[in-house]
Order: sequence, then structure tokens, then C-alpha cells
Amino acid sequence: MTSIALAANGIDYTYPGEVRALKQLDLTIEKGQRLAILGANGSGKTTLLLHLNGTLRPSAGRILIDGRPLSYDRRSLVALRSRVGLVLQEPDDQLFSANVYQDVSFGPLNLGLSEAATRSRIDAALEALRISHLRDRATHMLSFGQKKRVAIAGMLAMQPEILILDEPTAGLDPHGVNHLLSVLHRLHETGTTLVFSTHDVDLAYTWADQIAVFADGTVLKQGEAAAMLADRELLRTARLKMPLILEIAEALYCRRPAWAAIGPPRSKDALLHLLEQTIGGPQ
Amino acid sequence: MLTSDGFAWTNRWHRHHPAEKGLLAGGMLVLAVTLPAPTTAPIIIAVMFVTTVLGAGIPAVTWLRLMALPSGFLITSVPFLALSLNFSSGLQVVFSPQGLEVALSVLLRSLAAVSCLTFLTLTTPTIDLVPLLRRVGVPPAVVEIMLLTYRLVFVFLERAATGHQAQIARQGYVGLRNTLRSLGLLVTSLFQRSLERSRRMEIGLTARGFQGELRVLAPKRSISRARVASAAGLLLGVAAAGLVLDATVR
Repeated sequence: MTSIALAANGIDYTYPGEVRALKQLDLTIEKGQRLAILGANGSGKTTLLLHLNGTLRPSAGRILIDGRPLSYDRRSLVALRSRVGLVLQEPDDQLFSANVYQDVSFGPLNLGLSEAATRSRIDAALEALRISHLRDRATHMLSFGQKKRVAIAGMLAMQPEILILDEPTAGLDPHGVNHLLSVLHRLHETGTTLVFSTHDVDLAYTWADQIAVFADGTVLKQGEAAAMLADRELLRTARLKMPLILEIAEALYCRRPAWAAIGPPRSKDALLHLLEQTIGGPQ
Repeated sequence: MLTSDGFAWTNRWHRHHPAEKGLLAGGMLVLAVTLPAPTTAPIIIAVMFVTTVLGAGIPAVTWLRLMALPSGFLITSVPFLALSLNFSSGLQVVFSPQGLEVALSVLLRSLAAVSCLTFLTLTTPTIDLVPLLRRVGVPPAVVEIMLLTYRLVFVFLERAATGHQAQIARQGYVGLRNTLRSLGLLVTSLFQRSLERSRRMEIGLTARGFQGELRVLAPKRSISRARVASAAGLLLGVAAAGLVLDATVR
């Protein structure tokens, strides 16, 4: 049985004086899972993420950590945030220090680690994001992509069990995206549970184990990535489209219906393999 | 301010311990103030120029430009020091050679002092001096505000610059009327954005375990004995040269 690390149970949230941002929302995050929260812009994904680390408190419903409802006293929140790390979309919202090294040191020090332990955490986090060469740089002289990596390093240095990233690929160039994905891949292998929000169906499809399809302040459906993204009706309601790989695969199934049984290709390479079989392989 | 900050972060000596640079600049400053100006000050200016340009690798033009502004003020105000008022037979403005000597020595002293500070601003990010403040006993809250302000000034300037560019792109600064209106709008929007940003930053910092105290660790930098020794040697050399020269001139 898979164990559920963090869950939202029927949560509602309304920003003061505004429309309801979250409605009757259910979400489960299993330990060791890679979960993508997939939804159009402005659908309330960020609001949901802010609930997952206790920044916002639902007006109805509950957040469950290890199956127990989260309480909102200072102590429980501090405990929650040392286990659940949230990286915001805009790195400037999370970087406050003049240089990279100092900034990354902030989180571990807040956990009460010793100076020596903090220094080794900083080195490891900078190394994990391949930004050791930036350690002495001024934060304000970094590029957007570099700032983003520093913000993630700052969170990694706290070694959270669950790492939540809000639109981690937004604003990154293809190289930056690949780099980020390989960092996340290594993290996943060391057992970190990963959650990220995105509107990029192709990214969610190739990367996530599970997808929660999000629209108008609620999770329409959560389940295995390929199943979610093959559901045209669901995608239309969520104002999303089918991933390119899946779209092409479906077109191929029309010609060779038997292949549908193999299961959909999950990567570009798997799709290429399928295509080669259709047209007879390389000449 | 931005040029000097840029060099402070990228010059050849930016990884050196701030105390080493502080020792050199502070020591020279003390010499500039205490030793006879006409002989010592020119030596100090020359030495600081050489260390800044050849040592830390700052372009000479940048050094000159940064020196130019305070020098301009000094040079225009010094002639008045050479004048004195005489009330014995009505009001007389008197120019005395003695006054001129005093004025020149003040000028030289000030220029030498400015050259020391120029060295420090160009080689050391302001923020590197903050841990020193903490050690001296400045309250943590004040230090934290300094740290935050330093970072946010740049975020703010970036915002202001992009906002300004966006307005220019839409002809916001054509004619006086538009200019005034655009400026007003820019200032208002910066206010709102700063507020909004501070709220978001609070969320961002809370996510990182912020509990009311902004504690950070500076990168570990060891003080190099060799560099401290050379700074001390340089100070002694300058002092000796200044004094000897002064004795021979007299």
C-alpha cells in the first residue's frame, strides 16, 4: 500500500473580497511520487500550493499531513515547513540576501543546524544545482535562470521530504528546463517527493507519475499521467490540450489498432520506435 | 553607485577578506589625517591609485571618474579657505599666503582621504562590511534592515527601469504634460508593487523557515597573512616616506 504524505480534503478558499479561489478541492500526494498539478493560467494552482505549506488556511476542509489534520499554531507550521519545501514562481520573492552563498545559508540556519552542518548543506545544494561557481556572486547580478536555481538550492539545502515547485520551468530556456529536470530526477531517486504546477501538458506527460487536472479552483480528476491526458473530454473542460506525443500515437492507433494494447508511448524515443515500426524502420 | 557596486563584486580582489581591504583603506585614511599633508597626501593618492588600478584591476578611467565628483567640490570650495575676514578697520577680505598653505593642505588631505574611500568602494561590496558592523555591536535589527534594503534597492531599481522603458515605448515622455503624468503613474505603480512584493517576499521567506530573524552565513574567507603583512608594510613605507620627505623639505 502506498502511503499518503500530504493531502487536501475538500478545501475551500476565498481571497478577501474576491471570488472563490478554491472549491471543494481534493488532492493526495503519495510518498516518493512525482505529481504534476496541471491547469491553465489563473486557475488557482498557486493558491493551492500555498495551502500545502500552510501559508494559507482553508475556510473549509482540511490539510492532512501523515493522515493527521494540520493545526495552524506556530509550532506545527514550522514543523510542516521543514518537511514541505515550497519554491515560488518568482525567484526574487524568495531571495533576500546580497550574495548567493548567504542566501542559501538562510534555510538551514532556520532549521537550527550548526555552522559546520549549514556549510556542508550549502556546498551540497550548490553542487546539486551545478552552481558552485556562483557562490560569491551578487544576487542582483544573476540572470533569471540563475536566480531560479539559487532559489531552488535555498530550498534543497533544507532537505525537505516533499519539494513543491510553482511553475518551475516558466521563463527558462530549453537548456534551463533540461537542467532543472535532471536535478529533479536525481532528487526523486534519492527519495524526495516532488510536486509541481504547470500548464505544459508535454512536460507533465513525460515527467510526472500522476497528474491532478486542475480547473476553476478545483481538481477535476487525479490519476495516472497517461490516463489523465488521454481523456479528451477532461482536457477540454480544463482548457488544456493533449500532449503532442499522445496525439501522434493516437493517430497511429487508427492505422494499427492492435498497438493501442501496448500502452501509450511515454517519451519521444518510445514514439520514434512506434513510428519506425509503422514506416518500416531506417532504410 | 551602480558602477562602483558592479566593480565591487567583480574586481580581482572581491574574494579577499574585507578586513584586509579595510585595514589598507583605514590605515591610509589615518595617515592622511595625521601626517603632514603636503608630502604624505600625494604619496597616498599615488599608492591608492596604483593599488586600485594595478592591484584590484579597476580601469583607471573608472577610478578617475569616481574621484572627479568629490574633487570638483573640494577644488571649488578650497579657495575660500585661503581668504580670511578682517574686522579691525571695517570689513576686509584678506588673502594671505598662510591661508593658502592651510587651504592647500586641507585640499590634499581630503583628496587623499577620498582616494582611500574610492579604493574601498570599488573593491568591496558594501554588504561585505555588514558582518563587521555586527561584530562591532550594531543591533541585529539594524543589520537585517541594511541587508534587506541592499537587496531590495536593486529589485526596485530594476522595476523602475522596466516601467520607465515601457512608458517610453508608449510615448509616455513626449512633451511636458505626458512626462509629468507618466512620472506620477510610475511612482504610484512602484508604491503598489513594492507593497505587493513585500507581501510575497514574506510568503517566500516563511516557506524557508523565517521566524523573525534573518540569520545568514557569509562565505568563509580566510585572512591572508601575506596580504595583511604587505598592507602593513605599505602603510609603514608611506608613513616613513612622508615623514622623511617632510624633514628634508623643511
